[in-house]
Amino acid sequence: MRYSLTAMLAAALLASTLAQADSGTALKNDTLRKEPYNDAKTSGKLVRGDKVDILGKQGAWLNIKTKSASGWVRLLSVKRATGTGNQATGVLSVASGRAGTGQVVATTGVRGLTEDELKQAQFSEPEIQLMESYSVSAADSTKFAKAGGLKAIKLGYLPKPVATQGDNP
Amino acid sequence: MKKPTYACLLISLLSLPPQAMAFDLGGALKDAVEKNASDLIGNKNPDEASTKQAKAENNPLADINWKSPTQAEEIKLGREITGNLLGASPLVKNAALQQYVNRVGRWVASQSERPDLPWHFGVIESEDINAFAAPGGYVLLTSGLYKRLQNEAQLAGVLGHEIAHVVQKHQLKVLQKQQLLSLGAGLLSGKVAKGNQAIEKVIGSGAEISARSLDKSAEYEADRMGLILAARAGYDPYGLPEVLSGLEDISPSDGSIALLFKTHPAPEERLTALGAATANSSNLPGGKTLENRLLRLP
Repeated sequence: MRYSLTAMLAAALLASTLAQADSGTALKNDTLRKEPYNDAKTSGKLVRGDKVDILGKQGAWLNIKTKSASGWVRLLSVKRATGTGNQATGVLSVASGRAGTGQVVATTGVRGLTEDELKQAQFSEPEIQLMESYSVSAADSTKFAKAGGLKAIKLGYLPKPVATQGDNP
Repeated sequence: MKKPTYACLLISLLSLPPQAMAFDLGGALKDAVEKNASDLIGNKNPDEASTKQAKAENNPLADINWKSPTQAEEIKLGREITGNLLGASPLVKNAALQQYVNRVGRWVASQSERPDLPWHFGVIESEDINAFAAPGGYVLLTSGLYKRLQNEAQLAGVLGHEIAHVVQKHQLKVLQKQQLLSLGAGLLSGKVAKGNQAIEKVIGSGAEISARSLDKSAEYEADRMGLILAARAGYDPYGLPEVLSGLEDISPSDGSIALLFKTHPAPEERLTALGAATANSSNLPGGKTLENRLLRLP
């Protein structure tokens, strides 16, 4: 019984992988690069609205193919086809490894924290005191930032995108 | 042997509607709040005087003004919640790591609208992949998540997301809403719990408040703000998207990520939302990734 369930599920996953090729749409104009680095040579242009095939992923970069060019772009520049925005589709696509373009999904075998465990938890004064003892001052953190060559810049928050928020079920 | 379990877990995940996944701590809170209700509206009952006294002794949260908590009350509340979480999963006993995370976190928090909170950051002992924020500036991430990080910009992005929850008081607002709603319900039903066990329940359930589902919109907002906070601090803004992208490769049926997936939209949806948010703005600034400075765990 259990095994037939597994088989059915495997079939369903396979079907979904085949049915939904890795594809997407360009969200903005961007530069295609030969390698997944900011300073890599350019290999073409991405134009907002372009349909793309997604060939691979590395960090925050996608390897894509448009009608006329191919190369790497930042993954936020492409809206990947996720079906209807319904949550089951999202979960399924992740489980199938589609988002990772063929990469096998990892299973760590970790059971993980559960709400029940957290609910049962007892307050620990020594631990919270230990945590507070590690705090650093703003001045210390500024020194630390300088040592790493970090420079604070002024930048406004991103506005809430209307379209994306609207498609929640 | 593992396969059948995998299948069952996955099926149960798929079949649950999102509403059913959202964890409800209403039960525990409600009792306690009904008790609180009598105090807030001055509903005299014979036990009141003695109860209040007992509460003040045992419970630092007894006198919180839920309608408009002060910053000091917010911090007190966050301390209790975080202390409970630490009771479930203690800090990694590695002072260098804890200090490092505090330096990065404090620097990112300094770029926020609440730079003067007493920010505290910590890494807890858990192979789970998750991070938590509690009111008043308490932020924790698991060693399981920390080990996945490849550079300091990614750490800054993850901490930025949690810092945003604190800045926007997302958890605090949920608590307040729940308290005030239950207060109304308590009044209607005319039920008033007695004794101070009730108020202890609020705190007893505190640890899982930090893991509780927020609105999807609160999570998307924290992503948008977290990315910008890291960029303001001079980091590569793609740290957070990179981490989210890495989470896509983990099966949602994996135990290590079950709680995260239960309480957050899928990483793919979060990335799409971030993409949409950045689509109309000019290009994000470049920044440092500092992979060499990331303190790596053995």
